[in-house]
Amino acid sequence: MEMFSESLLNKKNKRIQSLYRSLFMMMTLLLILPVLVILSTLIYKGGSIISVDFLLTDPINGMTAGGIFPALFGTVWIVTVALIASVPLGVAAAIYLSEYAGDNWFTRAINLAIINLAGVPSIVHALFGVGAFVIFFGFGTSILSASLTLAIMTLPVVIVATKESLEAVPIAFREACWNMGATRWQTIRRVVLPNAVSGILTGVILEVSRTTGETAPIMFTGAAFFLPFLPQSVFDQTMAMSLHLFVVSTQVPNVPDALPYGVALVLIAMVLIMNSISIAFRMHLRGKKKW
Amino acid sequence: MSMHPLKTSFAVTAIVCAFGVQAADRTVIQNKGSDTLVNVAQAWAEEYQNVDSNVAIAVSGGGSGTGIAAMINGTVDIANASRSMKEKEVKTAKSMGQNPIEHVVGYDALAVFVHGDNPNGTLSIEQMAQIFGRGGKSTAWSDVGAKVPGCGSDEIVVVSRQNNSGTYAYFRKAVLGAAAKKGVISKGSFRMGTLDMHGSKDVVDLVEKTPCAIGYSGLAYATDHVKMACISQETGGSCVSPSVKTASDRSYPIARPLFMYTNGEPQGEIKKYMDWILSDVGQCILVKKGYAPARDVSCG
Repeated sequence: MEMFSESLLNKKNKRIQSLYRSLFMMMTLLLILPVLVILSTLIYKGGSIISVDFLLTDPINGMTAGGIFPALFGTVWIVTVALIASVPLGVAAAIYLSEYAGDNWFTRAINLAIINLAGVPSIVHALFGVGAFVIFFGFGTSILSASLTLAIMTLPVVIVATKESLEAVPIAFREACWNMGATRWQTIRRVVLPNAVSGILTGVILEVSRTTGETAPIMFTGAAFFLPFLPQSVFDQTMAMSLHLFVVSTQVPNVPDALPYGVALVLIAMVLIMNSISIAFRMHLRGKKKW
Repeated sequence: MSMHPLKTSFAVTAIVCAFGVQAADRTVIQNKGSDTLVNVAQAWAEEYQNVDSNVAIAVSGGGSGTGIAAMINGTVDIANASRSMKEKEVKTAKSMGQNPIEHVVGYDALAVFVHGDNPNGTLSIEQMAQIFGRGGKSTAWSDVGAKVPGCGSDEIVVVSRQNNSGTYAYFRKAVLGAAAKKGVISKGSFRMGTLDMHGSKDVVDLVEKTPCAIGYSGLAYATDHVKMACISQETGGSCVSPSVKTASDRSYPIARPLFMYTNGEPQGEIKKYMDWILSDVGQCILVKKGYAPARDVSCG
């Protein structure tokens, strides 16, 4: 029996083990803390202003009263158009890189370029958007310019996430297909893509969140300080939630305190709701995974 | 499950295009520039919906420099500026095929703000130059003979604006430049180490919370929680407080014209809008926002 009882060394190791465990747990809790503080502050200070009217009416009295509908509507436009532009492009690029491209200097250069694109500051993308889309292509300050700027900015997110999820599909699946006489494209379409959808969605979720919140890239390319109408085409300018938050908190005098907090709360809620829907959808798909 | 990303995106594109096709025959006037003017520009745009619902005014801020740059690039119909376009800017605009025409739409009194507890209520141009100017001698509140409660360090926190701001340019010319001409300070430029804020409202917000601070901004951004200095030409001379009235009758020493620039003489809907801005209705909106009108009007 003596040999199975705890020695001093065992006790010491156990103590150290539980010490590290609680240390790491505290670090994790510390990470959640800012999120909780932000959310509770927003709800506490801005919750009172949120109502159906707030969401569905125009701002009035020099934007110190009324609702935020044009900004809400504009953000949905911008995000939708940005997704339409970047998701097919990003997924196609990822399919090429993961399924077709050989491991050579050219592929490595492309991968390096994508990683670098992800590191470009958003204000640089904004200025690029002004030069390229607003002036050179002549789209003017419009939803199209803003969304394309955002699309380019978020492309690396979609490409990297898609590439990783494609690469996670076991190579044996592909080999089985090829052995049955299927072409590469048939394999990709019928086997690889369906199995990678949940990972691709992760990329899209990240893109939606980032696109919704960005201010700099849309400030010069398509978002207006104030616009007394809703956009009707991609060539119209629009108001947007992120810029509206900036405007009501720094530019407009005599704004009631609750208003900027309310706008921020709606902005965060939009991102959270969209994320939750995609996450639920992703979990549903993951349940069908075959390995 | 098989996914058809291409089909889905085509469908959504089709929907967007359908939206696009039915765009109404509505005129959009692009209006961009000065942060000083942006709130009154917004008020005009908001009210103009009731005048002509087929014309929409898209308002953006960013500063006088931003508006003028957009005029040069030809991406706006009306540029707002709280300073005149420089000769060089007009030349560049002309070389790009634009012909900027200047319209004075109102006047703005540039108020000098101090904390609500600051007992120092009057300032001369010379004293301000000593505080804001490079080589100025006043770095502490005691240098201008004031003891500010709550400001333990006695050091003056000088709040200024970013350098593409028209407010910045006007203050430099009207206060620092004028004082430099008299030989009060050696150069007509700002001292190093000022806190440069990115908006008119930011200046007032900061001064409101900082007992040691002094800053300048448009009168329209005044709140009840800050104090506006009464300004005199000479130290010890009679001073004038900033107000719409003293800006209108030019008795306030640091009031400046506010401009809108159009590309060529305004035509069609742009002309109608500019005329409305200068009408009694448009000018009274400007007065209500805390600016002085471009001409005499009586507002109820």
